[in-house]
Amino acid sequence: MINSKPSCLKWGGKVKKLWMHAIANIRKSKSSSTTLVIMFLVAALLLNSGLLVVINYGSYFSNLKQELKSSDAYFAIPDKIYTDKVKTYIDKNEHVKQTQTLEGVVLEADILSKGEEKSFPIMFTNIEEKREISKWKYVGEHLPSEDMSVYIPDIFKAVSGYQLNDKIKLNYKDKETKEEKAITFTVKGYTEDVYFSSTDTGYISFYLPQDTYQKVKGIINKPENITHVVFTNLDNVKNVPSIENGIRDLVDLNSASLMAADPSTRLVVIDVELIQLARCMMATMISAMMVMFAIIIVIVCLLVVRYRIINSIEEDIMKIGSLKSVGYTSRQIILSIILQFSLIAGIGSLIGIALSYPVLPVVSTVFEQQSGLKWEQGFDAGVSGVAFLILLVIVLMIVLIAARHIRKLNPINALRGETTARKYKRNHIQLEKAHGNLPIALALKSVLQNIKQNVMISVILIIVTFFGVFGVIMYYNTTIDTKAFAEVPGMEICNAIAVLNPEKDQLETVKKIEKMDHVRKVQYLDEVKVKVEGMEVAAYVMDKYDKKETKLVYEGRYPKDNNEITLAGILAGRLNKSIGDTVTVGFGENKEHFKVVGLSNGSQMGGLNISILAKDYKRLNYNFKHQSLYIYLEKGTDAAQFVTDLENKFDKSMLLTAVNFDKGMEEGMASYQKIVAAMGLVMLVITLFVVTLVLYFVISSSVIRKKRELGIQKAIGFTTYQLMNQLSISFTIPITIGAVIGTLLGAFYTNPMMSLSMKSMGVMKAGFIVDPYWIISFGVATIVFSYLLSMVITWRIRKISAYALVTE
Amino acid sequence: MSKIILKTNKLNKSFKSGTQEQQVLKNLDIEFYEGDYTVIMGSSGAGKSTLLYALSGMDRPTSGAIRFFDAEIADLNNDKLAVFRRKNCGFVFQQMFLLDNMSILDNILASGLLVSGDKKSIVANAKELLEKVGLTEMIWRKFPTQLSGGENQRAAIVRALINKPRVVFADEPTGALNSAAGNSVLDVLTEINNDGQNIIMVTHDLRSARRGNRIIYIKDGVISGECVLGKYVSGDKSRHDKLKAFLSEMGW
Repeated sequence: MINSKPSCLKWGGKVKKLWMHAIANIRKSKSSSTTLVIMFLVAALLLNSGLLVVINYGSYFSNLKQELKSSDAYFAIPDKIYTDKVKTYIDKNEHVKQTQTLEGVVLEADILSKGEEKSFPIMFTNIEEKREISKWKYVGEHLPSEDMSVYIPDIFKAVSGYQLNDKIKLNYKDKETKEEKAITFTVKGYTEDVYFSSTDTGYISFYLPQDTYQKVKGIINKPENITHVVFTNLDNVKNVPSIENGIRDLVDLNSASLMAADPSTRLVVIDVELIQLARCMMATMISAMMVMFAIIIVIVCLLVVRYRIINSIEEDIMKIGSLKSVGYTSRQIILSIILQFSLIAGIGSLIGIALSYPVLPVVSTVFEQQSGLKWEQGFDAGVSGVAFLILLVIVLMIVLIAARHIRKLNPINALRGETTARKYKRNHIQLEKAHGNLPIALALKSVLQNIKQNVMISVILIIVTFFGVFGVIMYYNTTIDTKAFAEVPGMEICNAIAVLNPEKDQLETVKKIEKMDHVRKVQYLDEVKVKVEGMEVAAYVMDKYDKKETKLVYEGRYPKDNNEITLAGILAGRLNKSIGDTVTVGFGENKEHFKVVGLSNGSQMGGLNISILAKDYKRLNYNFKHQSLYIYLEKGTDAAQFVTDLENKFDKSMLLTAVNFDKGMEEGMASYQKIVAAMGLVMLVITLFVVTLVLYFVISSSVIRKKRELGIQKAIGFTTYQLMNQLSISFTIPITIGAVIGTLLGAFYTNPMMSLSMKSMGVMKAGFIVDPYWIISFGVATIVFSYLLSMVITWRIRKISAYALVTE
Repeated sequence: MSKIILKTNKLNKSFKSGTQEQQVLKNLDIEFYEGDYTVIMGSSGAGKSTLLYALSGMDRPTSGAIRFFDAEIADLNNDKLAVFRRKNCGFVFQQMFLLDNMSILDNILASGLLVSGDKKSIVANAKELLEKVGLTEMIWRKFPTQLSGGENQRAAIVRALINKPRVVFADEPTGALNSAAGNSVLDVLTEINNDGQNIIMVTHDLRSARRGNRIIYIKDGVISGECVLGKYVSGDKSRHDKLKAFLSEMGW
């Protein structure tokens, strides 16, 4: 009786053998395996991080909204205009389902943040006031309250560094006496609420114990500092503008600009969609870029894996032949290759995924600094599992495709090495006719003979250079010349704004301001609300648009003649209107037709904004009078000093308020600038890292494959330097082609890409500065870096001995 | 007395294998003369190829001096040896070692253009030599993988000659060839020696050894004997007998 092993044991034994082959192959090519592991590590790190942010960060905010029962909107109505009429209007409004009102004391204060004084619109609220909707909560540890305790938004800890029991001093100027005053509190804890925890939109809330709140109210003691916050739940959040407009009509407000309004009548309306956009926008953009970048790195990894598989099959052809001759099937051999590369991809991916978790708090801190949202991500098996599987499945597919011709390999031919001898068909760059010196001619020969490899190198360089240029442009626009970046929100950029009393004759005042030292130019620019085709929109109103400094029109022009209008791109899309079409613009009962002459960028009111001439608006709104005077100063002028001079020169009866626009822009843009600049830098660094890895991988493999050829060249008298130069030039050629194409594509397509990603912000056509010197320098630096790196990597040719070759 | 072209003084070469050191060449003192077709013979592992490559600058000796015409080459570094080799030495290997990725003509020009920038004369010279060894234009446009062993080896000889080397070093040039191809290669070597080319050849093949006018026998890293056969004449049985006797005496 013949005993035979059970089939499961036989199968297990075969798999064990294949596993041994896979491990042996990995050991044999340690440096290329290590390089591949690192590439997969980077890919997995980016992919997992990106997916976690895309999937979990977005839902984090939604969960927070649910947890805190955030309302659909809030209306912060100054006490002066919070009349019974307004109260009734809101309560009885058909769209309003639920309201909750609380009192707040508002104060524009300067607070020390990382060594610098920054301005914050603070709203003090009483922690003991009960809320059914739009609740708030403590974040992290909090201490019991004492006299002058305060519970501040977490962003003050994350960005400004205020710890528990630290003193936080709020400096402010008394508007009447112009006296500098201060209130100091002791930090007792940190808070989170949906609307008042970020510095980007509306107020930022400081929660005070009851007695402290009363004390502060007494200290500030000005009616214009009291505001009533009405939280509302609506039938549809899209009805917020109509309710706001109703309030404005009731109290006869005709300006909606937060910065340029008299505080005593400043109505602040924020809806939940806007706050979500403001708080999650940066994170959404960055996470989308992380995922996109991860996909690019994965593609690069896969190109390199495919290249490696094809090369290793070529190098090991005799071994494959011998395996086949002793009875291994093609399927088994392919399986061992699958095991080999799955192991490499698996190890790299697992480490990358594991590393992404300690990296996430860094990413989270970056988001926290902009959004005030303290997001903590624990291990997410689902997302990480998906990231891992995506990478493995793709590697599996690539291996199956690349290794498929093993099936057709004849063992005898493989053993003889006949299939390894490349069948060269054309003798490119015949030395007899070639121009230029010998190493260059030989390098060109090599380029043309390894066309597939060089196409791969060029493609990889195109991809990474494209993103490198993208990073350079982002860095440049947020660090070197920030003009274009500052224009993204779609505001007219000046240095200061004087809000003048519309009831008074402003002519003399404007002339005087114009003649002040360092003033380059002044012009009126007011923001009002109108209806376009029945839709509430914000309207910019100017006497003339030719002196506008921030040109936001990307198609057509600004209005010049009567009844011309420029629509924001998003609005135009909603109304399905383009240049040449007619729209109806109305204010109150008055309506007129306007011809669309231009389309513009602009995020004001969610991209629902227009630009019209003042004379046209005056026909719709007879009561309209200019109020906001935009002041443009000479370069280098201190806007803060100018504002002080302005306030000293004119009394409050004429100058309602003066705004330091420079400071506002700087503070508003600072966190975005830092984040985007950092992102640009990270992309640059990753680009260089990927280029280094790919070149190291390809060149090292090439030197190994060309060992015989290089040995022969050494034998006939080529020096090590000549061979290094020859090889480096041969790699620099496809690198140069790839870098040039990638640089050009990056230069031309960064703005269209940014337009696509910032469309929801009202930026239909991004106009980031593409500085040619920087771009070209980056391209040249990539090429020079690659050449030098090639020389360093090919230095190992010195170990190739002609003697070793001939005596092997 | 013929001029000395190569001379060694207490030439030693040893190889390390783990902790073991194996001495292959032991205090060799030997001279080579102008116009000679010198054949180095010996049993396997005697040190023939080691000596050949030390003499040609392909490898550095462990100690001792090598004077190659006017140059002391034993202490040159790798790059200087490479420059020295390209100008002074031509190599013919058993495996030919032609570059598979370029045509026969390009293989020769790659060597020639390394030394001289005068492309016109290098190309003309290459073509002339190729014709001389019986390789037509149709053949020199082909890749090495498309030719026979004999054709490749003759092309390798042209590559060795393109820079007018002072010495041609041949290591078992017929080892990978059948007898007809081998004979054609040996005929070429004999012809160039008759034209004045110095040749030093390693072989363990009697038929190849007969072509030389001077036979040196190496045993265990030392010269154990020398035999002068005189110029090769085809069909000269006495030379063959003399060689056989000498080799028998050496214990071959």
